[in-house]
Amino acid sequence: MITKFQVAYKNLLRKRVRSFLTLVGIALSAWVLVSLLGFNQGYETALNKDIDNMGFQLMIMAKGCPYEAATMMLKGGTGLKYMKESIINDVAKEPEVEKTTPILMQAAFDPNKGESGGIAIYFGIEPKTFSQMKTFLKFRQGQWFTDDNGFEAVMGYEAAELEQREVGDKILIPEKNVEFKVVGILERTGTQDDGTIFIPLKTGQKVFGRPDEITTIGVKVKKDADSTKLEDRLYKLPDVQIVSLAEVKQTIMKLISTAKVMVLSIAIIAILIAMVGVINTILMSVHERFQEIGILKTIGAMPWDIFKLIWIETLILCAIGGVLGVGMALVLSRVTGMLIRYVLPYAPIGGLVVIDLKLVLITMATILCIGIVSGLYPAWKAGRIRPLEAIRSDIG
Amino acid sequence: MRQQRSSICNTVNKITIFPVKTSVLALILVIASTAAWGAVGCDLNDPDRDVARLFPESTGYKTAYVSIVQKGGEPLLKKVETRLGDTFHGIYETIDVPYTIYEIFAGKKKIGYIHGVNQKGQFGGIQVLVALDLEGRIKAFYIQKMTSKYAGKLRDVNFGKQFLGLTLKDFDLYDVASGKASGKVDAIKNPAPEAEADFRAALRATKKNLILMDEFIYLSQATSSSQEAPKK
Repeated sequence: MITKFQVAYKNLLRKRVRSFLTLVGIALSAWVLVSLLGFNQGYETALNKDIDNMGFQLMIMAKGCPYEAATMMLKGGTGLKYMKESIINDVAKEPEVEKTTPILMQAAFDPNKGESGGIAIYFGIEPKTFSQMKTFLKFRQGQWFTDDNGFEAVMGYEAAELEQREVGDKILIPEKNVEFKVVGILERTGTQDDGTIFIPLKTGQKVFGRPDEITTIGVKVKKDADSTKLEDRLYKLPDVQIVSLAEVKQTIMKLISTAKVMVLSIAIIAILIAMVGVINTILMSVHERFQEIGILKTIGAMPWDIFKLIWIETLILCAIGGVLGVGMALVLSRVTGMLIRYVLPYAPIGGLVVIDLKLVLITMATILCIGIVSGLYPAWKAGRIRPLEAIRSDIG
Repeated sequence: MRQQRSSICNTVNKITIFPVKTSVLALILVIASTAAWGAVGCDLNDPDRDVARLFPESTGYKTAYVSIVQKGGEPLLKKVETRLGDTFHGIYETIDVPYTIYEIFAGKKKIGYIHGVNQKGQFGGIQVLVALDLEGRIKAFYIQKMTSKYAGKLRDVNFGKQFLGLTLKDFDLYDVASGKASGKVDAIKNPAPEAEADFRAALRATKKNLILMDEFIYLSQATSSSQEAPKK
């Protein structure tokens, strides 16, 4: 015996072009929906990763100390201010603080670099805590130094390129007449780290004559912690200034929320368009089969049978369209990501459209719900057709 | 009028080490120069100033960028290595290094070239530039940058003077691998015997510099002029 499902399926095949176009409409809507939700998800993840890659969200410096290499160079490597290394213990006690790392920034002048001499920037660091903050730092060659008191150096990509250094080579701080062995060369990061030479903190303090002193404390704030409160408390520490990246993060997160609302609005519009398309197609189908439905009822079909038949047609269209749309979104996610990256003024590193199983299931459930809702009215209308009236009419 | 183009791969225009006075400009260039090349070339720090100093009679210059990979690829690399008597090694001395050639003019007349190469030294990169006349004779020798305890001696004008008038022919007699030389190159005295490695690095860089200029400029000029010569 032929089932209702088979009848519904065959009905759809009777008007292949119309059924196909409806399918395309649903598939496109599903594609837009899943891609937008995937973008929503991917963009936020990528942006969070970018923010995390900044390393620390707060920098605590001695008051008046330049906090980036560029400023240091503009000042000819002078103007550095120092604070006691022990301050880091006070900072680490704060409940909002997840991690801290001490840094001693130094600049060394070399008269034999160009006509007027040049400056090299050295960061004395603890590799253990520093690398935990800057997890995005990857090695082109070698690794971090292991001896806190060793005369070893890790060079940023461009610093190594300029000095033609490889792992095992030596570098010299001419001003101090001290040699270091290169144990690692970092990949390019696009940050000031590229031009920096990293040395062990203790060694740096010794070489530059700054025992137990540092210039900077990098602070990673716990997720969802109130960094403003933390900053207020940190300002109470004597003679320090706070450089905060938290505000940048908060601004970006606000922008994301706005973008989310926009994306969801577009997704809802796409869903509505799909719904109207489906209702239109099924209504047309019911209208064309007016007499046929009347005959079905005459030979014993109940209104509920007709309702189910039409409903199943809608569901079949939506299910196939949904699968096609999700498939398209999965296949074209990279292209979509590239297009978005091309259009957006700023796009974080990493996949912008991330489609996972949860998203696929949500989309399919949404599309099927659309099918159920869209099919209600045409099915109800078909179920209410009066047999004799239908047979007598010229329609269908 | 001096012509200038912003240098794409100027090694000195990197974040770490800057001439103090040009730091701001360098910072801007760093941003503009993010990895257009896989390898790094050697440019004059301040072309307007340096060209005028190395070629006092010049009135202008043009800048051209060439690389072995563009000019002949692997076969050219092999040829250069054979002529140098040493292979290119390390992660920075590669086939795709962009070389900057400054063509020097007095009025409309071309009067010579300035070209530099990076060379690995004992404690850092050495930038060796030579000013050449149209026959390939060294008119000026200049170590733009060197990290060494004895860099001052090797960058001294008197050391550079020993290279004046030398040509690639003279350097053909210098064996890069052993550091042994004969003829005019043998007469070049090392002002800092403690920095023998850097002295030899400077000589290797000069020979490499001259070979590259021969391959990029002088040989191709000779070929084109022989093709243009009227048939008898």
